[in-house]
Formats: sequence, structure tokens, C-alpha cells
Amino acid sequence: MVPPSLRMGHPERVISVEDHLTCDVGRMRRERLTRLRQHMAAQDVAAVLLLHGPHVAYASGHVGPAVDTTHAVHQRSVAIIGQEGPVHLFADRPSPDLAAEIHPPVFPELDESMAGLAEAIGMATEPSNAGRLAIDEMTGAMLRSGLLDGFDLLDAGRILGPARLVKTEDELACIDRAQRINEVAMEEVRTACLPGVRRSELAGLFISRVRQLGVDDVLIDPIFQPMPRNLSDGPRTSTDHVAFPTGVGDPLFNEEDLVWVDTGIGVEGYASDYGRTWVVGRDPSSAEQDLFRRWSAVMEASLAAIGPGATLAEVGRAAIGASRGAIPWLPHFYLAHGLGVESAEMPMVGTDLGEGFDEQFVLETGMVLVLEPVVWEDGVGGYRAEEVVAITDTGWRPLGGWPGHLGFES
Amino acid sequence: MTSKLVAARRRRVLDAMSEREVDALVLGRQDNVGYSTGMARLWTSGTRPFGAGCVLIAETQRTHLLSSWDAGIPESVPFDDLYPLTWNPEIMASSMAAIGGLSTARRIGVDACSPGFIRAAARFAPTAQIVPCDDLMASVRTVKLAEEIELVRSACRVVWSGVEEVLDRPDAPTPIANALVAMAALGTTITSSEPVVRREGDTTVVDLGVMVDLYEGGVGGRFVDGRREHAPALVDACRDGATHDDLAESSTGPWLVRGLGMGYETPVIDAQRGQGLTLMAGMVLSVTDGDHRDVVAVTSGQPEVLSAPPYPADRPAGSSA
Repeated sequence: MVPPSLRMGHPERVISVEDHLTCDVGRMRRERLTRLRQHMAAQDVAAVLLLHGPHVAYASGHVGPAVDTTHAVHQRSVAIIGQEGPVHLFADRPSPDLAAEIHPPVFPELDESMAGLAEAIGMATEPSNAGRLAIDEMTGAMLRSGLLDGFDLLDAGRILGPARLVKTEDELACIDRAQRINEVAMEEVRTACLPGVRRSELAGLFISRVRQLGVDDVLIDPIFQPMPRNLSDGPRTSTDHVAFPTGVGDPLFNEEDLVWVDTGIGVEGYASDYGRTWVVGRDPSSAEQDLFRRWSAVMEASLAAIGPGATLAEVGRAAIGASRGAIPWLPHFYLAHGLGVESAEMPMVGTDLGEGFDEQFVLETGMVLVLEPVVWEDGVGGYRAEEVVAITDTGWRPLGGWPGHLGFES
Repeated sequence: MTSKLVAARRRRVLDAMSEREVDALVLGRQDNVGYSTGMARLWTSGTRPFGAGCVLIAETQRTHLLSSWDAGIPESVPFDDLYPLTWNPEIMASSMAAIGGLSTARRIGVDACSPGFIRAAARFAPTAQIVPCDDLMASVRTVKLAEEIELVRSACRVVWSGVEEVLDRPDAPTPIANALVAMAALGTTITSSEPVVRREGDTTVVDLGVMVDLYEGGVGGRFVDGRREHAPALVDACRDGATHDDLAESSTGPWLVRGLGMGYETPVIDAQRGQGLTLMAGMVLSVTDGDHRDVVAVTSGQPEVLSAPPYPADRPAGSSA
């Protein structure tokens, strides 16, 4: 039914969850720290003070639990890193076997903690206690205390962002592992997506299944969103395209529905990203199949443009070329985004950063892209799905097992 | 959550802005955005980098929200008061500049901040002073409205369905996964805290927390034959006027008394923290002593336990018990 060329075949495409994570976590942490310090030196940064969970994970190796943001804020771990010396981690229950120097937590939300935080910063910045300090968040207590007044502050993203762009083999292994577990769980959930089922039931199945597969960290409330057939059906958007993902309500599915799904979990702090379009309790209509064929053509063209030395603009143009000139992605998002300690990071293709940004950004071996084209036909609906790739010396390879598009692919 | 509750919460925030002479309030924390606007953004775990999730303007009394669509947006916020998601700091700065009353503000309150935001604000609101207002939001949120207390009570009831599932099947290999499915059957798919289920001989230790309709519920305890060990004295000590010392003296194990409402809130009181703090009527607290956890509302008399089991006290938890 589906031409062989649309199966996006790749010799490394394997659908399975291996028994263990094939990753040297200690080596991964050492290599990340080396990269971080290279970027600190290049930008003459005396120290970085990190409060944002993914930043702390990248710099120290400590991965906090995937809890509500209010819990993450009040129980946050803090990492402080100077140009040399140990990584200082302030955490309650640190991940095992860290090379960092562990201290009791500092609670930067609280005014009463500021003396302790000043002392902590001093561990990395003394004797000068001045110079450039890269920081990712200032709490109200920090602003009131004046404890940062002597420093020249810059956003820690300016250091962490470039360090995180190119992944090591171990980082890629973590993403691959997370993706495979995510895929296995979702392929099971797909069989339960039947008329009369609610979003919350499918989400419950998913989060319990990944836990049975050994993963506790669900990074996003699982998305199963029935899509309108016409843009005019709403919701109203600023882009005049479709609203996704809204995370609104607990819809009950019926046989007419076309459902966009999106889930993500974490392994060693690395995110997965599984996106598909499902039909509920029936086969896709021929018009829906046509959407899938068009989506496949966009995906194939995008993949063909990916490799070291390619610009983001070249990838975007390939996608548009395969889409009869229409932009085949959601305009408030992107054609593709990176994946790592956060589920949407650089590089991003086709954002509102503009063509100039995409023209000057060159892909390198070790970068990761999640391609998520969207093909829309008003009156029919849309097909959206995601595939994850790592850039290699010769092109790209899949991350995860690429379980295909059952229902649409025979 | 009713639109009346959303309006009452927003009124409190605007009044507090007026008292503190804050012309504009830029909120980045998702719970503060939810409190002030009623908006429920797609839940993601963990911390988020600071960004303008919503902007309240004292002069116009309008609420401006970060959203590219009107799904999930309260009716009180017209479409024109939304500003879209963007990856481009220049576009975000333009959105900020276009909000009536922000560029002329003398004092802009923030609930957190970043070096990038301070630089951007110097351009879109060149004469403004940036004022920390996390404490403004915390004080507004400390005393709960009646409907908030009922929302917390409902969330706690959902947690009990998870606890019952664990106790019903004591030998299940994945009790936490089962509890998550049971709570999802009631429409709840967001855990607020790390779920705990542990066997110690005949005792099952459970601690679960969830977010329901933006409000948190939680229950913890040691269960034998479906019966939870009695509440420690710390729960009853959570009274109007109770000091750190009062709480410390009532505790028996590692303890934590912290605000609970739209998630984890202040006050935060334990052996090390909150020395000068005093409890007051209207607070809702998560009270942990050892493995026991209850959620209580502080009143003018005895604390009201919002996490009481949703069945008679003499009936063991777990339908098979």
C-alpha cells in the first residue's frame, strides 16, 4: 500500500528496548564539564551559578526528579562551577557517584538562605568575588539581598547553550534509550486508543507503562489531542494555523477522531520526544492517507538535506520544496528542534528567529534533530509525527527505533 | 475552578500591586500565572527558565497572557490581550513594548528574573525600576479562599484512590504504576511530588501527591491491614499563632510544614528553616512528620484535616481489606 521509498529505511533502524543503557555516565559527565569550562574560558566567565534543573544536570550530573515545577523550585539543586576546582553541588539527595563536591541544599527562594548562598558562590569566585558571573535565574530573595551586585552578570544560557549543542556518544545513547522506551510504551498505548476512551486513561496507561519499563521521569503531561478538520473550527490562533499542543481538557475519543499525540520521558536527564497522528478505532480514510504520503515526502526530503556542513536553511528549503511550496510545519514552532537535557533546544529549523539565523547555522556531527513536519489540508485535518536523528560524519542516523506509522503504513 | 474564584484571586493580586505601588507585574512562575489569570498551561515537569508568562497592569487593570491561541484562556482575557509564544527575544521585546502601561511603568514587579530580562526591560521600559515581587505573590496566596480549600480537599480525595489501589494489591510488582492508573481513571495524570511506596514487614509506607485543576493534594502514612497509623501531634499543632518552636516540640521524626495550594508554597518550616515564622488562620499546609503526611487548613480553633480519608475512620483503606 505504501511505496517502499516512504518507509524512511535506514540500516540502523531497530525497534526494541535493549536491556541496559549502553552509556558510560562518568565519562559523559567529565566530557560535558570539559566543554562547559571551554565555553566559560572563551567568554572570560569566572563562574557559573545554575538553578535551572537541566543546567544543573548538565554541569554536575545530578538529575532531580520530574516533579511539579513548584516542588522543583522549592527543593531545587544548585550547581556552582569556577574556572577550576571541583563542581560544587548543593542538593538534598544527589545522584550517585558524582564527581562533584556535595554540600547541603541552599534554598535560593528564601531570604534566610542568602548568607549561605553568598558563601556558596564564594567557593568558586574567591578571592576576587567579582568578574563575570553566568547565572540562569535570580530569585526574588537574590534580588533583595544584593548578593550579586559586585558581579558582571550574563545569562548562563550563553555558556550552556553552545556547550550542549554537540552531543557526546554517551549523551546520544541516553537519548536513544529514552526514545526507545517511549516508543515501546506508546505503541502499546496506541492499541488502547479506541472510541469511548478518555485522554487521561491513555495518559495513565503511558505513565504506568514507562514506570514498568524502569523510567520514573515523565517530563510532560502526555498529549492526546483530537484535532479539528478545519482551521475555522478553532481555537483561534495568532498564526491562523492550528493550536497544538493546548493541554486543555480531558477529551473523550470517538471514531471520527484524528488525534495528535506527543509524549516525553527522561533517562539520565535526557529527553525523548515521540509524536504521531493516530486514528481512533478505524483505518485512515484515503484523504488522511494522502496527508501521510505528503508528510512522508517532506520527511524524506528533509532527511536527505541533513548532514554535517548543511545549514538549517537548506533543511527548511528541502522541506518546503517537497510540500508544493507550503510551509510544512506549525508556524509557532519549527520544522525541527534539538533534543538533550531539554525537550526542545537548539538547533531549531524554521522558527521566528528568521531566515538569517537559519542561513548562518551549520549542522555538525553530534547534533540532534527532532523533525516534526506537519501537513495540513483544510477539511481533512493534519498529519504530524516526529523522528529523531543524530548528525553523523556521513549524514545522519536514527535515534530510537523508528517504530513506523502503523495504521498509515501497512 | 469557577470564574468567580479566578476573579477573586486576580483582585487580590491587583490590590496588592496597588498597596506596593507596583505599576506592572511580570510573572514567570507557572503557579503565579495560574493564580493571577486562571490559565492552565500544558504541564511540564521541573523548573522553567524565567520568561514573561503574564503581565498585569495596574492602570488598565488588564491581564496580558503568553499564548498563541485562546484555548484554555479565561473569558476575562480578550484575544487581543494575548501575546504569542516566540523564540525571538526581539519579538518578545516588541510584545512587551506593545502592552499598554508597561513601557511607562515606574516600578515593574517580577516573581523571578534573569540578566537577559533586565537588559530587555531597560529597552522596553527604560525608566522602570525592577522590583522583586515573589513575596507579594506569596503573601497574597498565603490565606486561602473557601473555594481553594475545597479544591485542595478534592485533590486529596483523588490521592486516596491511589492509596487504596496500593493497599488493595499488596503484592503487586509495580504498586506506584497501579496507583497512577487508578488516579488517571479519575482524570488526574500529574503527580506533584515523587511517589513513595515502600514495604517494611507488615507495614506499607505510602506518600502520593497530585495536581488537580491547578491545586495540589497529598497524603502519606504507614499502613498496617489497611489502617493508617494515627496522626502525629504535629498535625494538631498547626494552629493559628503556632511558632517554629511549637512545631519543633510537637514533631517526632524528620518533619516539614510547608504551604500547599497551587503546588508547593511558603511558608517553609522544618528543623532548619522558618525560625521566625508563625502560622495563621487561613493557611493550608502540608504537614509531614516521619512517614505521615496530612494536609490541613489552619483555623481559629482545631486544624481542619483536608486529607482525611473519604470514608468512615473505622473502615480500613482498600476495598479488599
